[in-house]
Amino acid sequence: MQSEDYERKLARWIRLEEEARKIRRSEADWKFIEEQPARVKAALKYYVETGDIRTSSRMAEMSIDRFRKLLRQARIPVIV
Amino acid sequence: MSFAIADTCFLIDWSSWRRRNLLFRLFTTVFVPETVLREVESEDVVEWIAGSLASGNLSLFTETPDILGEARHLVERTRLIPRVRGVDIPEAVCLVAGRRRGYTVLTENRGALMAASLLEEYRGVKVWRALEIIYELLRRRLIPAESPAAVFKEYEKETGHIFPKGDLENAVRRL
Repeated sequence: MQSEDYERKLARWIRLEEEARKIRRSEADWKFIEEQPARVKAALKYYVETGDIRTSSRMAEMSIDRFRKLLRQARIPVIV
Repeated sequence: MSFAIADTCFLIDWSSWRRRNLLFRLFTTVFVPETVLREVESEDVVEWIAGSLASGNLSLFTETPDILGEARHLVERTRLIPRVRGVDIPEAVCLVAGRRRGYTVLTENRGALMAASLLEEYRGVKVWRALEIIYELLRRRLIPAESPAAVFKEYEKETGHIFPKGDLENAVRRL
Protein backbone atom coordinates (compact mmCIF):
# COMPACT_ATOMS: atom_id res chain seq x y z
CA MET A 1 0.00 0.00 0.00
CA GLN A 2 1.36 3.40 -0.99
CA SER A 3 1.50 6.36 1.38
CA GLU A 4 -0.83 9.34 1.27
CA ASP A 5 2.07 11.51 0.08
CA TYR A 6 2.71 9.15 -2.84
CA GLU A 7 -0.96 9.17 -3.83
CA ARG A 8 -1.10 12.96 -3.61
CA LYS A 9 1.97 13.34 -5.81
CA LEU A 10 0.70 10.78 -8.29
CA ALA A 11 -2.67 12.55 -8.50
CA ARG A 12 -0.86 15.81 -9.27
CA TRP A 13 1.16 14.16 -12.07
CA ILE A 14 -1.97 12.63 -13.56
CA ARG A 15 -3.68 16.03 -13.50
CA LEU A 16 -0.67 17.66 -15.20
CA GLU A 17 -0.65 14.92 -17.85
CA GLU A 18 -4.32 15.54 -18.60
CA GLU A 19 -3.83 19.32 -18.80
CA ALA A 20 -0.90 18.85 -21.19
CA ARG A 21 -2.90 16.45 -23.38
CA LYS A 22 -5.73 18.99 -23.70
CA ILE A 23 -3.29 21.73 -24.74
CA ARG A 24 -1.57 19.47 -27.30
CA ARG A 25 -4.94 18.52 -28.78
CA SER A 26 -6.11 22.11 -29.05
CA GLU A 27 -2.86 23.63 -30.34
CA ALA A 28 -1.99 20.95 -32.92
CA ASP A 29 -2.24 21.74 -36.62
CA TRP A 30 -4.54 18.84 -37.47
CA LYS A 31 -4.52 19.64 -41.19
CA PHE A 32 -0.72 19.26 -41.22
CA ILE A 33 -0.97 16.02 -39.23
CA GLU A 34 -3.57 14.51 -41.55
CA GLU A 35 -1.41 15.30 -44.59
CA GLN A 36 1.55 13.24 -43.32
CA PRO A 37 2.39 9.69 -44.46
CA ALA A 38 0.60 7.01 -42.41
CA ARG A 39 3.49 6.14 -40.08
CA VAL A 40 4.31 9.78 -39.30
CA LYS A 41 0.64 10.67 -38.86
CA ALA A 42 0.19 7.83 -36.38
CA ALA A 43 3.31 8.88 -34.49
CA LEU A 44 2.14 12.51 -34.23
CA LYS A 45 -1.29 11.43 -32.99
CA TYR A 46 0.37 9.11 -30.46
CA TYR A 47 2.48 12.02 -29.24
CA VAL A 48 -0.58 14.26 -28.86
CA GLU A 49 -2.20 11.63 -26.64
CA THR A 50 0.83 10.57 -24.59
CA GLY A 51 3.60 13.17 -24.79
CA ASP A 52 6.04 10.26 -25.14
CA ILE A 53 8.60 11.54 -27.64
CA ARG A 54 10.89 8.52 -27.71
CA THR A 55 8.19 6.00 -28.60
CA SER A 56 6.66 8.47 -31.06
CA SER A 57 9.98 9.07 -32.82
CA ARG A 58 10.57 5.31 -33.10
CA MET A 59 7.09 4.93 -34.57
CA ALA A 60 7.94 7.60 -37.14
CA GLU A 61 11.36 6.01 -37.76
CA MET A 62 13.08 9.31 -36.97
CA SER A 63 15.68 10.45 -34.47
CA ILE A 64 14.29 12.27 -31.44
CA ASP A 65 15.61 15.66 -32.57
CA ARG A 66 14.16 15.30 -36.08
CA PHE A 67 10.83 14.29 -34.57
CA ARG A 68 11.08 17.32 -32.24
CA LYS A 69 11.38 19.56 -35.32
CA LEU A 70 8.35 17.84 -36.82
CA LEU A 71 6.40 18.62 -33.63
CA ARG A 72 7.22 22.31 -34.14
CA GLN A 73 5.99 22.11 -37.73
CA ALA A 74 2.80 20.43 -36.52
CA ARG A 75 2.46 23.12 -33.81
CA ILE A 76 2.29 20.48 -31.12
CA PRO A 77 3.80 22.00 -27.98
CA VAL A 78 6.10 20.09 -25.67
CA ILE A 79 4.74 20.78 -22.19
CA VAL A 80 6.98 19.92 -19.25
CA MET B 1 31.94 23.50 -8.33
CA SER B 2 28.63 22.19 -9.52
CA PHE B 3 27.95 19.47 -12.01
CA ALA B 4 24.93 18.44 -14.03
CA ILE B 5 24.01 15.66 -16.41
CA ALA B 6 21.64 16.27 -19.31
CA ASP B 7 19.27 14.04 -21.22
CA THR B 8 18.31 14.15 -24.89
CA CYS B 9 15.04 16.08 -24.69
CA PHE B 10 16.60 18.79 -22.56
CA LEU B 11 19.57 19.30 -24.91
CA ILE B 12 17.40 19.42 -28.02
CA ASP B 13 15.10 22.17 -26.70
CA TRP B 14 17.73 24.10 -24.77
CA SER B 15 20.06 24.27 -27.77
CA SER B 16 17.39 26.22 -29.71
CA TRP B 17 17.42 29.12 -27.26
CA ARG B 18 19.54 32.20 -27.99
CA ARG B 19 20.85 32.27 -24.39
CA ARG B 20 21.74 28.56 -24.32
CA ASN B 21 25.37 29.14 -23.26
CA LEU B 22 24.26 30.73 -19.99
CA LEU B 23 23.83 27.15 -18.78
CA PHE B 24 27.58 27.08 -18.29
CA ARG B 25 27.43 29.99 -15.86
CA LEU B 26 25.46 27.74 -13.51
CA PHE B 27 27.42 24.50 -13.88
CA THR B 28 31.16 23.89 -14.05
CA THR B 29 30.57 20.88 -16.29
CA VAL B 30 27.45 19.41 -17.83
CA PHE B 31 27.86 15.73 -18.60
CA VAL B 32 26.29 14.14 -21.67
CA PRO B 33 25.91 10.35 -21.46
CA GLU B 34 27.03 8.40 -24.51
CA THR B 35 23.51 6.95 -24.78
CA VAL B 36 22.19 10.51 -25.07
CA LEU B 37 24.77 11.61 -27.61
CA ARG B 38 23.85 8.69 -29.85
CA GLU B 39 20.25 9.95 -30.04
CA VAL B 40 21.11 13.35 -31.49
CA GLU B 41 21.34 13.77 -35.26
CA SER B 42 20.25 17.27 -36.32
CA GLU B 43 23.07 19.48 -37.53
CA ASP B 44 22.30 22.47 -35.30
CA VAL B 45 21.99 20.40 -32.12
CA VAL B 46 25.09 18.33 -32.89
CA GLU B 47 27.06 21.49 -33.69
CA TRP B 48 26.20 23.09 -30.36
CA ILE B 49 27.04 19.91 -28.46
CA ALA B 50 30.31 19.43 -30.36
CA GLY B 51 31.35 23.05 -29.80
CA SER B 52 30.52 22.84 -26.10
CA LEU B 53 32.40 19.55 -25.75
CA ALA B 54 35.39 21.15 -27.47
CA SER B 55 35.32 24.14 -25.11
CA GLY B 56 35.05 21.85 -22.08
CA ASN B 57 31.64 23.10 -20.97
CA LEU B 58 30.05 19.78 -21.83
CA SER B 59 31.81 16.52 -21.11
CA LEU B 60 31.10 13.02 -22.30
CA PHE B 61 29.82 10.65 -19.63
CA THR B 62 30.70 7.04 -20.28
CA GLU B 63 28.32 4.70 -18.51
CA THR B 64 29.96 2.05 -16.36
CA PRO B 65 28.42 -1.45 -16.17
CA ASP B 66 27.14 -0.81 -12.64
CA ILE B 67 25.45 2.46 -13.66
CA LEU B 68 23.88 0.76 -16.67
CA GLY B 69 22.77 -2.12 -14.45
CA GLU B 70 20.98 0.22 -12.04
CA ALA B 71 19.55 2.19 -14.98
CA ARG B 72 18.08 -0.98 -16.51
CA HIS B 73 16.55 -1.86 -13.15
CA LEU B 74 15.06 1.64 -12.91
CA VAL B 75 13.58 1.39 -16.42
CA GLU B 76 11.89 -1.87 -15.47
CA ARG B 77 10.61 -0.48 -12.16
CA THR B 78 8.99 2.55 -13.75
CA ARG B 79 7.25 0.33 -16.28
CA LEU B 80 5.80 -1.89 -13.58
CA ILE B 81 4.14 0.93 -11.65
CA PRO B 82 0.62 1.60 -12.88
CA ARG B 83 -0.12 5.14 -14.10
CA VAL B 84 3.54 6.19 -13.95
CA ARG B 85 5.23 7.29 -17.18
CA GLY B 86 8.15 4.95 -17.84
CA VAL B 87 11.71 6.11 -18.34
CA ASP B 88 14.14 4.77 -20.93
CA ILE B 89 17.83 4.09 -20.56
CA PRO B 90 19.14 7.61 -21.38
CA GLU B 91 17.01 9.32 -18.69
CA ALA B 92 17.58 6.44 -16.29
CA VAL B 93 21.36 6.82 -16.66
CA CYS B 94 21.00 10.52 -15.78
CA LEU B 95 18.92 9.74 -12.68
CA VAL B 96 21.35 7.06 -11.52
CA ALA B 97 24.34 9.40 -12.03
CA GLY B 98 22.39 12.09 -10.18
CA ARG B 99 21.80 9.75 -7.25
CA ARG B 100 25.29 8.33 -7.11
CA ARG B 101 27.38 11.39 -7.91
CA GLY B 102 25.17 14.24 -6.77
CA TYR B 103 24.84 15.73 -10.26
CA THR B 104 21.81 17.88 -11.03
CA VAL B 105 19.73 16.10 -13.66
CA LEU B 106 18.62 18.31 -16.55
CA THR B 107 15.61 16.85 -18.28
CA GLU B 108 12.36 17.64 -20.05
CA ASN B 109 11.17 14.07 -19.70
CA ARG B 110 7.99 13.71 -17.67
CA GLY B 111 8.89 10.10 -16.80
CA ALA B 112 12.20 11.19 -15.23
CA LEU B 113 10.41 13.90 -13.23
CA MET B 114 7.81 11.41 -12.03
CA ALA B 115 10.44 8.82 -11.06
CA ALA B 116 12.39 11.39 -9.03
CA SER B 117 9.21 12.51 -7.34
CA LEU B 118 7.69 9.10 -6.63
CA LEU B 119 10.49 6.57 -6.13
CA GLU B 120 11.94 6.82 -2.66
CA GLU B 121 15.60 6.20 -3.52
CA TYR B 122 15.57 8.92 -6.21
CA ARG B 123 13.72 11.58 -4.20
CA GLY B 124 16.97 13.23 -3.15
CA VAL B 125 18.07 13.75 -6.75
CA LYS B 126 17.88 17.37 -7.87
CA VAL B 127 16.01 17.39 -11.19
CA TRP B 128 15.74 20.62 -13.14
CA ARG B 129 13.80 21.49 -16.26
CA ALA B 130 14.48 24.58 -18.36
CA LEU B 131 11.98 26.29 -16.03
CA GLU B 132 14.20 25.83 -12.98
CA ILE B 133 17.36 26.76 -14.91
CA ILE B 134 15.86 30.00 -16.23
CA TYR B 135 14.52 30.75 -12.76
CA GLU B 136 18.03 30.31 -11.33
CA LEU B 137 19.59 32.47 -14.07
CA LEU B 138 17.11 35.24 -13.30
CA ARG B 139 17.48 34.85 -9.54
CA ARG B 140 21.25 35.20 -9.79
CA ARG B 141 20.83 38.10 -12.24
CA LEU B 142 22.82 36.29 -14.92
CA ILE B 143 20.17 37.50 -17.34
CA PRO B 144 20.00 41.31 -17.55
CA ALA B 145 17.14 42.83 -15.62
CA GLU B 146 14.11 42.27 -17.78
CA SER B 147 10.63 41.19 -17.03
CA PRO B 148 11.02 37.58 -15.81
CA ALA B 149 7.81 36.62 -17.58
CA ALA B 150 9.23 37.94 -20.87
CA VAL B 151 12.33 35.74 -20.53
CA PHE B 152 10.23 32.61 -19.99
CA LYS B 153 8.03 33.65 -22.91
CA GLU B 154 11.11 34.12 -25.11
CA TYR B 155 12.20 30.55 -24.32
CA GLU B 156 8.73 29.21 -25.10
CA LYS B 157 8.61 31.08 -28.41
CA GLU B 158 12.08 30.04 -29.60
CA THR B 159 11.87 26.39 -28.59
CA GLY B 160 8.17 25.54 -28.92
CA HIS B 161 8.36 24.32 -25.35
CA ILE B 162 5.48 25.29 -23.06
CA PHE B 163 5.82 25.47 -19.29
CA PRO B 164 2.90 24.25 -17.19
CA LYS B 165 0.86 27.34 -16.30
CA GLY B 166 0.88 26.85 -12.53
CA ASP B 167 4.63 26.16 -12.37
CA LEU B 168 5.38 29.20 -14.52
CA GLU B 169 3.17 31.54 -12.47
CA ASN B 170 4.77 30.25 -9.30
CA ALA B 171 8.31 30.83 -10.66
CA VAL B 172 7.51 34.38 -11.81
CA ARG B 173 5.85 35.21 -8.49
CA ARG B 174 8.91 34.03 -6.53
CA LEU B 175 11.20 36.25 -8.60
